[in-house]
Amino acid sequence: MNTTRLLTAVSASLAIAGLVMSGPAQAKVEGDTIILGSAISFTGKYSTNGIHAKNGYELGVMKINEMGGVKVGGKTYKLKVQYYDDESTPLRTAQLLERLVNQDGVKYFLGPYSSATTKAAAPIMEKYKVPMIEAEGASRSLFNKGYKYLFAVLSTSEQYLASSISLAAEIAEKNGKKASDIKVAMAFENDPFSLDVRAGVLEDAKKYGMKVVIDDKMPRDLNDISSTLTKVKALKPDLLVLSGHSKGAATGARQIKEMKINVPMIAMTHCEAAKITSKFGASTDDFLCPTQWAETLSYKDKYFGTAADYDKLFKKTFEGYKNVPYQSAQATAAVLVWKEAFEKADSFDTTKVRDAISSIEMETFYGGIKFSPAGNNIAKPMVLRQIQNGQYNVVAPSKWASHPVNWPRTAK
Amino acid sequence: MEKFNPKLHLPILVFGLAAPFVVPGLTIQVAVLWVMVLFALTWDVMGGQMGYNSLGNIFFFGAGMYICAIVQIAFITDVGAYTASNGGVRITFTHQEYFMGLICGIIAAAIGSALIAAALGWTVFGLRGPYFAIGTLGIALAAGELMGTWEWVGGGGGISMPVYPGSADGKAYLFYFLCFAAAVGTYLFCSWLYSTRFGLAINAIRDDEQKAEAMGVHTLRYKTIAWAVSAFFLGISGALFGNITGFIEPLEVAFPTVTFGIFMVAMSLLGGKGTLWGPVLGAFLFHFLKEFTWTYFLGWQWVALGVLIIVNVVFFQQGIMGWLMEKFPEKFGIVVEKKEAAE
Repeated sequence: MNTTRLLTAVSASLAIAGLVMSGPAQAKVEGDTIILGSAISFTGKYSTNGIHAKNGYELGVMKINEMGGVKVGGKTYKLKVQYYDDESTPLRTAQLLERLVNQDGVKYFLGPYSSATTKAAAPIMEKYKVPMIEAEGASRSLFNKGYKYLFAVLSTSEQYLASSISLAAEIAEKNGKKASDIKVAMAFENDPFSLDVRAGVLEDAKKYGMKVVIDDKMPRDLNDISSTLTKVKALKPDLLVLSGHSKGAATGARQIKEMKINVPMIAMTHCEAAKITSKFGASTDDFLCPTQWAETLSYKDKYFGTAADYDKLFKKTFEGYKNVPYQSAQATAAVLVWKEAFEKADSFDTTKVRDAISSIEMETFYGGIKFSPAGNNIAKPMVLRQIQNGQYNVVAPSKWASHPVNWPRTAK
Repeated sequence: MEKFNPKLHLPILVFGLAAPFVVPGLTIQVAVLWVMVLFALTWDVMGGQMGYNSLGNIFFFGAGMYICAIVQIAFITDVGAYTASNGGVRITFTHQEYFMGLICGIIAAAIGSALIAAALGWTVFGLRGPYFAIGTLGIALAAGELMGTWEWVGGGGGISMPVYPGSADGKAYLFYFLCFAAAVGTYLFCSWLYSTRFGLAINAIRDDEQKAEAMGVHTLRYKTIAWAVSAFFLGISGALFGNITGFIEPLEVAFPTVTFGIFMVAMSLLGGKGTLWGPVLGAFLFHFLKEFTWTYFLGWQWVALGVLIIVNVVFFQQGIMGWLMEKFPEKFGIVVEKKEAAE
């Protein structure tokens, strides 16, 4: 039977090739380098933000290495990140993290981009008891599962657009209207992050007794929300709320311009990351955009200086950024937390490092960082910015506001 | 049915049993390889042996995944409360709860998927050729969207699967061997099935459905059973994969139409559809190439896969096994009448 011989030869050679490919497991600390692992989106629907986050990680690593690296046990180490592409799907996340742990021997992790992929990552971290500091997974459902090895530097997602609701209520009352008369239209991507943003908006809208007239889900490829916008034209809501990561923001901004949607107040997430001001110009004026971080805020640290200094350095290092997306800033902050945690633990033992992370309290250019027992950062607020003449200005909450809010918005 | 052949089956069996111990770092990748083998084999029951090219078989993978998850959770608590988008309840599963849930979940996933296939069969088997392909694709796409709006199972927020109560290695071994067993089971079942009258009947449907019908073959019944067989094993693979991934979400994880849904077709075509070994060989090569490009040519993996599919479809339409059969027919026991050929 020559066929069988042939098949045997093929399967045997594949098995051998597999053995060769696997190679020896690398150590988590190679010589004088600490390897951090990350499976993040370089392709697929989250690739824009995946790359923003990667740039943030890289800038953090570059800065720390420039400043001498990380001191553990009297020795100095450099940082390095090993990446894999998760193709924007949680389907790949678990496989790639298993590979990072088992084949590459990585024991310290930076997060993926998006709540969905982070949800797939968290059980792997728990399984192997290796810590992950993530900067891009904001859904609340990540922080009520009792995960002990997941830490997030960002504010959770129900806070993203809730402030736009209170702002709308405030404006209505100023103009002699009742908050309960406000009609809200909304469209969200059907994913863990956006659904959590929606939950926050609904909770606040309910508090004021506002009427939700449109509550749509964006299509899976996020390429067309014209059906929602057609309804907006007919029902004339007072507030339009959109959330669908960068692609949803770009589609929203494009179609609001094309369809000349005239709503007095429009709020959407991911304006900066989708670069809507440079893509759609004046038509995006007066959009409200929540942000985890803004370069105008008065945060600072010993690594980057002020938030504004970080902004300048980032634009100098990476070409093509008119505004620095907060996704990059928080990714950098996650790297800073790793440095502090290693030095605080003064050890590479994953349990000790994990305990060090959980007790960290630090000020960074990105804001304060202190983790709740659930792992989310409770030391930093969300702020709401408005696009005014192409500039992002903080308009709420009032403690941080640098400009008054423009209202009502007129279509351009 | 194919007899046990030490030269052919033994190396694969040894590789399958030894892999997680010899190359522990690759356990998950090899487990996924077995899932791919299962994908290709089940697709070929329809696409290769019966001539019905389904683009929606991935639907049963997702159905199995959800059925298993629901059973696993419903064993302990209310599913709606567990998956609530604003947080949900938190539960630590004991060994007994976890394993009972898992066993019942896998069984329910297999049977449930097969029943759904039988029910759907009545409607879609009225379609032929490209209409059947598009019709089944529609089912898979619609399923993702529908599950995304069903709040009780978490909607687009998905379901975080129960955390395995034992050690990390224990989980890896358990799911590795379950995947391996599922692939071997699928192979053995297909091998047996193709050796029976059933195999001849579905081949007859592929070659000429009208004629088969005229000969007294109850085509709808055979087609429905063939699809239910595919769905049965795909349901098992979905149940296992959901637990390996740890997080289920409708669009990307449960019903990945453009990745796994297409891969299963590509693997069968690459190896040679309509043969028993073609899909297995195709799955090995495809998965190996995919993992290889993923590791060493990050960013080019899709280009490499695209080139492979184009070369396959343009130059080797009959796949590797088909090409080998044409090139060396005598090695497959096909007798070529030399004299006749010379004349």
